[in-house]
Amino acid sequence: MFILSGSIPKDFFGGIWFIIQNNYPLYLEGAKYTLMISIAGTTLGLFLALLITIFRIQESDSRDNFGTRAYKRISVIMSASYVEFFRGTPMMVQAAIFFYGFAMIGIRIPILIAGIIIVTLNTAAYLTEVLRAGINSIDKGQMEAARSIGLTRGQSFRYIIFPQAIKNMVPAIGNELVVNIKDTAVLSVIGVSELFYMGKSIAGTYYRYTEAFVTVAIIYLILVLITTRILTLIVKWINIPNKITFPTSQSNPVEVN
Amino acid sequence: MEIIRVSNLHKSFDDIEVLTDINLTIESGSVTTIIGPSGSGKSTLLRCLNQLENVTSGSILYNDEDITSNQTNLNELRSKIGMVFQSFNLFSNLTVLDNCIIGQEKVLHRSKHESIDNALNFLKQVGMYDFKDRKVTTLSGGQKQRVAIARTLSMNPDIILFDEPTSSLDPEMVNDVLEVMKNIISKDYTFVVVTHEMEFARDVSDRVIFMERGRIVNDGTPSEIWNINSNERLKRFLNI
Repeated sequence: MFILSGSIPKDFFGGIWFIIQNNYPLYLEGAKYTLMISIAGTTLGLFLALLITIFRIQESDSRDNFGTRAYKRISVIMSASYVEFFRGTPMMVQAAIFFYGFAMIGIRIPILIAGIIIVTLNTAAYLTEVLRAGINSIDKGQMEAARSIGLTRGQSFRYIIFPQAIKNMVPAIGNELVVNIKDTAVLSVIGVSELFYMGKSIAGTYYRYTEAFVTVAIIYLILVLITTRILTLIVKWINIPNKITFPTSQSNPVEVN
Repeated sequence: MEIIRVSNLHKSFDDIEVLTDINLTIESGSVTTIIGPSGSGKSTLLRCLNQLENVTSGSILYNDEDITSNQTNLNELRSKIGMVFQSFNLFSNLTVLDNCIIGQEKVLHRSKHESIDNALNFLKQVGMYDFKDRKVTTLSGGQKQRVAIARTLSMNPDIILFDEPTSSLDPEMVNDVLEVMKNIISKDYTFVVVTHEMEFARDVSDRVIFMERGRIVNDGTPSEIWNINSNERLKRFLNI
């Protein structure tokens, strides 16, 4: 560790090496926040998306009375507007509005929490569209058959449509996680000490911007590569034929219970 | 005893009228087949009977209750009026057995044990008992349709609607499914079958309805329909 006491080498690779050796705890800290925010944001975003999707896919039917029809219409308009707003504006701008907006009315949200909330809200908007597309991709006959035996629309979604749709959606949800790992960089605008923010402060310390940010890029790349490998394994596991088939009964029905 | 009475039924999709002034009564425990060229409204009429399609005007009485009214509990109604589809529509996320028990548990609130017993009974009847733990995606068309019939029977419905049950099957599987259908015909169920299988219609029906361009053109027993001399169109359709 003799380099610690010396000054930063002039050459590019030497500079990177010096920066890593002297600042790896900061980079690790940044990577930890990046992962934390993106994993928490994607997970919470998925749950929020499930909720919003319920409103988004309401369909009125000629039997509905005026109240039900109005409720469904409003549900669709509100949820569609939510999606349009969050997909139509940059996350960096949303973060700034959210954070400074609350600060303006005197509410100080801890920066990490603010970061997670922003990623959650954003992810929910994208995943709502993913969920809706996944549900629409299921053959209409499945819903008809479910309704034809007397299941309600809600039960049909829960037991028949959704379990089929979610299988097709896993790659898209995983992709959203990968996007979030990279996009959390914009949260540096509100001072979340994620990976990019750490890179910026390290760069400022040495006035060696390229070296500091190349290091940041390498760490992002490592995080994303590991994540995509894990996701590929998950998708493979899901697609193993008959994996979800667990025997639901013994051969002799009398033995059940 | 009549179980269904359709009166002055009209059905339009946007501006196109697909059913015009349908009047029809169906006796409990009978087999009614609906025949006619493609696009004549046969399937739409069938789908109105379990309200998968809303009617534009007119009424459908099921046991004297107008099921086109907003007051009808459709889920309860549909648990009593089963339907077998042309494209099977088995729940592809479930096993054969689970396809036959989900409705019993969630709609009829039967116990798991009772549902399984009942389902296995019907799976035996359609010859699919040995496949009970299979995923439905691994079955052939004929096998799927037999499971679909067992799924419908498992609900112990009053009426079973068949919507061209053999039209998407390979020729050699058609007879399999027709045999299963013949086997389950009994006074316990009322059958309404839309089909292009003329021989089947003639052999098993109590009554045959010939539809064309959204109207019922002929309505009679198989012998009346097949011996009819007055209607050139029907004779051409039946190839006699």
